[in-house]
Amino acid sequence: MATVAGWGPAFCRWKTPMADVAMQSPAVKAPTVHARTLRGDAGIAWLLTLPAILAYCAMILLPLLAVLALAFTDYEFGARSFHWIGFGNFADMLGDRTFSASIRNTVVYCLFVAPLSIGIALCLAVLIEAGARGRAFWRAVFFLPVVSLTVAMATAWQYLLHPSIGPVNALLRMVGAGTPNWLGSSDWVIVSLGFIGVWENVGFNLVLFLAGLTAIPRELYAASEIDGARSGWSKFWLVTWPMLGPTMLFVIIITMTRSIRVFDTVQTLTQGGPNNASEVLLRTIHQEGFHYFRFGYSAAITLVFLVIVLGLMLIQTRLIDRRVHYG
Amino acid sequence: MQSRPLILDLPRLALLSLAAFVVLAPYIWMVAVSVKPQDEVFKASLSLIPQKWALVENYGKVLATIPVWTYIVNGLIVCFGILFFQILFAVPAAYALAKLNFRGRELVFGFVMLGLLVPYQTTALPLYLGIHQLGLLNSYTALIAPFTCSVFAIFLFRQFFRAIPDDLINAARIDGMGEFSIVWRVVLPNALPAATAFAIFSVVAHWNDLFWPLIVIQKGDLYTPAMGILAFRSVEAGEDYGALMAAALLVTAPLVLAFLLAQRRFIEGITMTGLKG
Amino acid sequence: MSGIVLHDIQKSFGATKVLRGVSLSVTQGEFLSLVGPSGCGKTTLMRIIAGLEAVSSGAVQIAGRDVTALRAADRDVAMVFQNYALYPHLTVRQNIGVPLMMRRLSAAERIPFFGGLLPGVAEKQRTINADVANAAEMLGIGKLVDRKPAQLSGGQRQRVALGRAIVRHPMAFLMDEPLSNLDAALRVTTRSEIVALHRRVGASTVYVTHDQSEAMTMSDRVAVMMDGLILQVGTPEDIYTNPQDLRVAAFIGSPSINMLAAEIDPHGRVTTGSVSIGLGASGHGPAILAIRPEDIAPHATGIAARIEHQEYLGESLLVHARVLDSGEQVICRLPPEKRRHVARGETVHLRPDPAKALLFDGDGRRLGSRVLSLEDAHG
Repeated sequence: MATVAGWGPAFCRWKTPMADVAMQSPAVKAPTVHARTLRGDAGIAWLLTLPAILAYCAMILLPLLAVLALAFTDYEFGARSFHWIGFGNFADMLGDRTFSASIRNTVVYCLFVAPLSIGIALCLAVLIEAGARGRAFWRAVFFLPVVSLTVAMATAWQYLLHPSIGPVNALLRMVGAGTPNWLGSSDWVIVSLGFIGVWENVGFNLVLFLAGLTAIPRELYAASEIDGARSGWSKFWLVTWPMLGPTMLFVIIITMTRSIRVFDTVQTLTQGGPNNASEVLLRTIHQEGFHYFRFGYSAAITLVFLVIVLGLMLIQTRLIDRRVHYG
Repeated sequence: MQSRPLILDLPRLALLSLAAFVVLAPYIWMVAVSVKPQDEVFKASLSLIPQKWALVENYGKVLATIPVWTYIVNGLIVCFGILFFQILFAVPAAYALAKLNFRGRELVFGFVMLGLLVPYQTTALPLYLGIHQLGLLNSYTALIAPFTCSVFAIFLFRQFFRAIPDDLINAARIDGMGEFSIVWRVVLPNALPAATAFAIFSVVAHWNDLFWPLIVIQKGDLYTPAMGILAFRSVEAGEDYGALMAAALLVTAPLVLAFLLAQRRFIEGITMTGLKG
Repeated sequence: MSGIVLHDIQKSFGATKVLRGVSLSVTQGEFLSLVGPSGCGKTTLMRIIAGLEAVSSGAVQIAGRDVTALRAADRDVAMVFQNYALYPHLTVRQNIGVPLMMRRLSAAERIPFFGGLLPGVAEKQRTINADVANAAEMLGIGKLVDRKPAQLSGGQRQRVALGRAIVRHPMAFLMDEPLSNLDAALRVTTRSEIVALHRRVGASTVYVTHDQSEAMTMSDRVAVMMDGLILQVGTPEDIYTNPQDLRVAAFIGSPSINMLAAEIDPHGRVTTGSVSIGLGASGHGPAILAIRPEDIAPHATGIAARIEHQEYLGESLLVHARVLDSGEQVICRLPPEKRRHVARGETVHLRPDPAKALLFDGDGRRLGSRVLSLEDAHG
């Protein structure tokens, strides 16, 4: 009976039959179970979340707070001491030409990559969905860049875009057009990097759009046809575009955050040059922190970076979410 | 869905083929150039087939200069190490958030959502300081530890676990299972699609990562594949594109091959994380 | 000639032949149900009438026009879908207004915001809104016009779907199992409302359903379809009392018609289980006797059977019995008072009413039969 009582008040209605069993075969012991008290699952829940909480605090929360603090100091790695300098770092930023180039280039890059990769991905998705031939094939082809090592593919693009021996310029030479130095001239470098960025992101956005498109009930298209929508265009505006709302929101947010975090291609191909023409935020953070070891300054830039990311997300969710239905 | 007759389908297929060609261009040339000798590369012709095969020279050079296999193994250790801990920590937490009632649940979930907004690069500086203090630079720990708490995993698994019927869990409790057993024996097996989806998402993200390994690794034999390529590039300060392409191909191949073999899974993985996210 | 006329429609999907030569004509203003088990091709036929599916061969005429080559947007038909297919992002008013908007406004006038600035558009919009309001009032959803589908109940959504169909005053209505998503009570009330609506609007209606009681209660005529062919078209009474095919007899009526193995002896008398039932037919050999549960009852003489089970429905009693010789199951529908007169396990004699009995040959085709006078029966 003692073992049965261990079931606790929540299971007291089981007591009687269990008691009979226990009396009839005393050699059989009911399994001991953790008592689930009526107070709730608090104990076990905290136990289950503990590892995650610890990891979260150690790897995310505390470092975040540390960055917040560092941004207002002049700490340099290896220095004996450091001081609070209030907004000193931020003041420095305003006069820092590298920083202003960095912000400008990152914004230009995002504004280049996001609309293009989203628009192209949408067109490709609609094209793929419009027919039955080779869907899996097209999906796989366009998705390849997503699973390919960015640094390696950047190297491949470097070859393709090489001013003298690359096939792109070889082709341009054949048709008599100009042959710019794609990655070496400050006029073209951001565009070239942006193009590579679009190349990287289209596949990712494409599969998201494909999922969104397949989720649209076929019946809506039949209904729109009956209602008089003859052309593919009318059906797109009446059914496809509105129904893609939630997917579009997600794709925009994802693409913007991915573009703003551009680093690999820049670090591999141009190292921010020529002349800061391809310097981007993450690279500046990296340089200031781990090349010049100016941790305080780097932390300040990190803070700016974080604010921009959060701001973007906020604006997008507010602006677009309102007009998106979740029908 | 029925196929339209080929004639009508041609314009669509043509457009798609054109786009596909642009997307595949780097791969095509990567393979082609990796077997060309240096003099041919410098000729800047548009031809893909080499006149003289330099496969052995190029690949040989790569394998001699950098331990490609070591880097790939490093990549695998790091990615799967990260994945292991991510699942270990996230799954129980997601279960608690999804199925258990406790005071402070909303608070914890709030922090999870907050974490989703913060890109990991923002915490790099203090983490580096901490790891340096602990003397753990240049170690697998340094590469794996910062990523062990994946708020994205917690979020994703929570969404999936919420869909599991409460009665299934109650039946397990009546059968005598403790909450730990329930998490690993009942809940996770019923959310395998989510687990594979997340696994793919995580492995792809970390295989590609350059920012963090660049910060914490200085020793050559711990390089990840991404760093390996950078290293080879700096060694190869010249323009031996043949060897460069060979190196690029070697380190890209594993994940690309895995993808081609399990396309559906990959794409479902990304899509599922997208739809639930 | 108005209404809908189908000439020998055939349709194959790849190697599978779904419609094997269907001809049908629906007169102007008629309510015709297309009924049959799932997979019989009725939905495909409906989609062909709507123009959502092309025929493999055959012709479709609507209101005297050959529309076979026209697509759905150019035929003058409206359709109510099984899952309603309402535009989730539009309000009720906008949903009902879409067909009017697509037809009365040109592409330029439809551009959001700017299109509204073009001359004459405001006037068109006003008439559209007026027509939508009328339709909504007729359906009792006038107060809901500003809501979105997600905020409506199943029954309300169905009315919006109906509204979208009737607002155009089309030549023909097509309804694809519109009641299947409603609960049982709502289904019954909505049935009569749809019929009332049909009478008010007066267009030809083709109503697809797998529920034979819906078909029987709502239609002017019923077309029974199976395996890609129309087996019989007729009034509900015709179909019920005079089925030309055993499959039609079996499909219509609940509980199902009883079927007993029978024999036409050389004298032209029909017997089952060596009991003559007072029916005469030409030809001889094996046959199938079909009799409705309400037309067979315990009697002094007849087919010997043991009562296995009773179901008391309140307004009637269903008695399940098993024929002693052949083991065939028979269900009788009796007045509820008979509850006390029949007991489980009891052996009774069941007598089918020869005037209502239906005779079919081995292939399921209907055979003519006549009631025999007493002497002829026992000859």
